[in-house]
Amino acid sequence: MRFLVTDTLIAGLPLLPVVMGIYLVVRIRQDFDLTVDGSFTLGGAITAVLLNHGLGVPLAMLVAVAGAAVAGLVTTGLHLAFRIPVILAGLVMSIGMTTLNLRVLGRPSISLDSGRTLFGGLIGLAPEVQDWLTIAILAAFAAVFLAVVGYLLLTEVGLALRATGVNPRMARAQGVDDRRSLALCLALANSSAGLSGALTVQSQGFSDSSTGTGTLLAGVGAVMLGELIARPGGASRVGRVIAAVVAGTLLYRLILVGALRAGLQATDLSGITALTLVAAVALNRYLPEIGRALGRVGAGGRFGSRAVALDGPRTAAVASGRSVADDGPTVPPARQPAAAGRAAASATMKEAG
Amino acid sequence: MLRLDGVRLVHGAGTPTEVVALDHVDLEIPAGQFVTVVGSNGAGKSSLVNVVAGVYRPTRGRVLLGGRDVTRLAVHARAGAVARVFDDPLAGTAPDLSLADNLALAAARGRRRRLSPAVTPGRRAGMREDLAVLGLGLEHRLADPVTLLSAGQRQSVTMLMAGLRKPKLLLLDEHLAALDPRTRARVLDLTLQMHERLGCASMMITHSMRHAIEVGDRLLVMSRGRVIYDVAGPAKTALTPSDLVDIVSGLGDAPSDRQLLAG
Repeated sequence: MRFLVTDTLIAGLPLLPVVMGIYLVVRIRQDFDLTVDGSFTLGGAITAVLLNHGLGVPLAMLVAVAGAAVAGLVTTGLHLAFRIPVILAGLVMSIGMTTLNLRVLGRPSISLDSGRTLFGGLIGLAPEVQDWLTIAILAAFAAVFLAVVGYLLLTEVGLALRATGVNPRMARAQGVDDRRSLALCLALANSSAGLSGALTVQSQGFSDSSTGTGTLLAGVGAVMLGELIARPGGASRVGRVIAAVVAGTLLYRLILVGALRAGLQATDLSGITALTLVAAVALNRYLPEIGRALGRVGAGGRFGSRAVALDGPRTAAVASGRSVADDGPTVPPARQPAAAGRAAASATMKEAG
Repeated sequence: MLRLDGVRLVHGAGTPTEVVALDHVDLEIPAGQFVTVVGSNGAGKSSLVNVVAGVYRPTRGRVLLGGRDVTRLAVHARAGAVARVFDDPLAGTAPDLSLADNLALAAARGRRRRLSPAVTPGRRAGMREDLAVLGLGLEHRLADPVTLLSAGQRQSVTMLMAGLRKPKLLLLDEHLAALDPRTRARVLDLTLQMHERLGCASMMITHSMRHAIEVGDRLLVMSRGRVIYDVAGPAKTALTPSDLVDIVSGLGDAPSDRQLLAG
């Protein structure tokens, strides 16, 4: 049980930056960027190689983060220059970066000289003390990172970024440069993936060319789990967004660590990831309805009314089209298929053209 | 304030579906003038709005705002000079964001966005004052996501947002079309107040013949991508809705049912 907690934290805390980055792309920009898979590995690979060459930890991590940010900018460039969807640009990048990462590493996997890492000073301590100090260092990194991103989202620049995801046409009419917003978002998401990669390889002691594989999907799973718990319900509540990211990431890692502790093999984890994702989607979809049903049974039960109230803005957020005006609150329209969002996205691409 | 010089806009040039949306439009709207624009569907009203807003780049001709050539500027780059209110009352605000965030977004239109907090207590107080003027009780709902507001409330907020930074041109694209009669009257009132206060040029596309005649200083009728009728002053107020329908339809374009009903 004790190992369950420490293992979850040691595996989960390094991932907080990348999940935050994925949240920015998936929920705030409403897009998917597969580049993060490559950026995560790249961040780890650069850190490992530079540390092994004798560079200091801060410099190595800085270069790793910068390298990953450049990957995000290249994806943005591909999207803008060739007008291919971000998801496709990211896919191309993630494949291309497999080769790049192997070149950086020189061979499929290298181990780190543990004395040179962020956690080098902990060598020689009792294993338990070592674990908790590792956790403290990782938590400090995550806390600073999340605070910086949270602040950024609350600034005028961050507000513009949030607006372009929800209503790009309106954002442009308010003078927001959509391209710059996308570049900022993808650079931020990928640099956070690079940071996560850098932290991960240092805590696990080796860097592998497949470290980042499946990062986006795992991140999406964590985001969905987090939304189940924290229900951010709109991009205006930045604190709730961060809470969702933290809760989702740790819960996601807890499920994986729990599965391993329960006797499953490491090779089973992909399956667990997929199942977690499906479960999170299903719960996100049906929990409000289950809540409503419970609320009816319990004659206006607390849970039911809460679920309904929180579901309102979520469903209404995708509302478009004209509704008859009245001065009362709008009736949340029926759920719209994701296709509506796609259509809107392609419409904006046309408009931008 | 706004000047169009020989603007021509062709969609799908060189293809079998080529459409001439605007055909040599020359137009000058001085500061302080309120212009209404009518025309049947396909007459080029939306194309005109989109060329002025920067959504489409004209095939030929120039667009000038306050003496500056903006023909090649994208939507966001000319947003400081043009405040646009869309026909869809839900389109002018970001649904997921709070009322305060929406207003803060508009408050930075046309200037460089900074890395300082978008919503501060001081700005919140200012927003409450601005919202109180609407008389809709929205000053108490700054933290609410705008999805919780009705279409009428959202269009009123969009109008307010349009006036937060002094635009050179207020571009109103059938902004009353989707509202019920009572809300329509209220938002129209707000529009006129805003035009007075800002002293900008205003261009209002409408399908209501009555509004076209009664509101503003000057009336344009568009047909087949051209301005076919341009009237101001007493000649404009002397028009009747049925005169106007004749003008709109007399040149070959049949007025839509909606225009007849709106008459």
